[in-house]
Amino acid sequence: VTMSQPDPLTELRANRPVAPAALRDHVRLLTASRPAPPRRITWRRGLLVLAPTAVAVVALGIAVRGDGTHTRAADQAVREPAPLTKTPAGTVTVPFSAATPQAALGDRAGVPSNSGKRLQDYEAYLRLRVKDGDAVSAATQRAISVARSLGGYPVSVDVANGGRDGDATLTLRVPVTHVQEAVARLSALGTILGERVSIQDVQGGVNAVDRQIARLQRRLRELRAQDPTDRVKRQIEALTQEVQRLQRNRAATVRQARLATVSVELTTRRPEPPAKSESGPLDGAWTALRWIGIGALFALIVGGPFVVLGILAFLAWRIARRRAEARLLASS
Amino acid sequence: VTTFGQAAEAHLDDVYAYLVYFTGDRSAAEELTGETFERALRLWHRFDPRRGSARTWLCQVARTAALDHFRSERRRARREEIYGRGLREVDEPRFAEGLSPALERALARLSAGEREVIALRIVLDLDGPTTARALGISPTACSTRLSRALEKLEEALGDHVAA
Repeated sequence: VTMSQPDPLTELRANRPVAPAALRDHVRLLTASRPAPPRRITWRRGLLVLAPTAVAVVALGIAVRGDGTHTRAADQAVREPAPLTKTPAGTVTVPFSAATPQAALGDRAGVPSNSGKRLQDYEAYLRLRVKDGDAVSAATQRAISVARSLGGYPVSVDVANGGRDGDATLTLRVPVTHVQEAVARLSALGTILGERVSIQDVQGGVNAVDRQIARLQRRLRELRAQDPTDRVKRQIEALTQEVQRLQRNRAATVRQARLATVSVELTTRRPEPPAKSESGPLDGAWTALRWIGIGALFALIVGGPFVVLGILAFLAWRIARRRAEARLLASS
Repeated sequence: VTTFGQAAEAHLDDVYAYLVYFTGDRSAAEELTGETFERALRLWHRFDPRRGSARTWLCQVARTAALDHFRSERRRARREEIYGRGLREVDEPRFAEGLSPALERALARLSAGEREVIALRIVLDLDGPTTARALGISPTACSTRLSRALEKLEEALGDHVAA
């Protein structure tokens, strides 16, 4: 910028205003009397620390929870027999366990006992692995022998032996009083791959049938005391048939409850290893990252429009403020 | 590490000079300088030397104080219905001792925004980017504003010489 003489820029620089002594004293007094407050933690600095910390804590929590659950489940499978589950229908079920050690059944700790007084429908399932096809045949024979030695019998036997590989499926009936011993002896025939026990109480149903039979028999006695008209005779005949049907059903239920059904599967195939994604130290981290990603996407979808609106509002406010400031300075 | 006391001692004259040119009123500049350093003392924990010098930061604080002053003055002027009367003519120097009357009058014809950029760039000798940051505008806008202010100042001086 060129200026006419005398040069006003030089004049401006040469005659800078100097603060009056009173103002200088005021500022000195200000700085002497009140020291500057210490540096505080601003919300932005706090956010910079808190946000990553929160994310890390959430990730760690998910990771630890995921690993912890897996470890606890694995420990339970190794150290304890599978827990019993009661269903509303009076069924007690030991769930399938793919990793139950042989010792768990061998010492009978994992097999619920039959109640001696109540009638129960008892079913047990065993899946065993043997080394080859010949072992499948041998184990099948021994299983049948076990059932017979305990007073039971085989209901069905299905053996497929291919020499090196083989499979067999047996359904055995053994007295419920010997079912624990039967399961323990059968489980010794191979390596246990899985087991399940189901107990259903049928005593309540039998009692109900007994009450119904007694009621019908009372009604029969009343009818027989009446005049033997054709109608009465037909009623007596129908009731008699109904009583006989109920008594047959009751007898069948009692017979069924006296014998337990033990299903045995023998195989030479090794169990499939658990999926790789279900184990490993990084599972929790991947889970955490997945959930963080889902959360971020959710926040983006839900909060995105609001963020855009906020940015637009901020820009509009800043433009308006600058224009107002320009008008203010132009008019001052 | 610069303490607040050191910064205040070193840049008191700069802040005062800036406010004198910005407001065009030395008594108002005195009040605003005191207010600026009171604010600066409260806000000193926010000062980050990596983002600019203490002088620039103090000028930004002073600018905020001055803008508040202008707003309150405008409200007061509206209330008293003297808005639009313009800058008052004064006999005593308004900007600095030693300035020629022609330059004083020429400066008085400039707006606060124009005097502000002259104060920062010419009187305080701040560089372009620093001045732009203090004013909250781009360096290009700052350069344009300075050119227009100096042209207007030269024009006003020319009018005075012609008269």
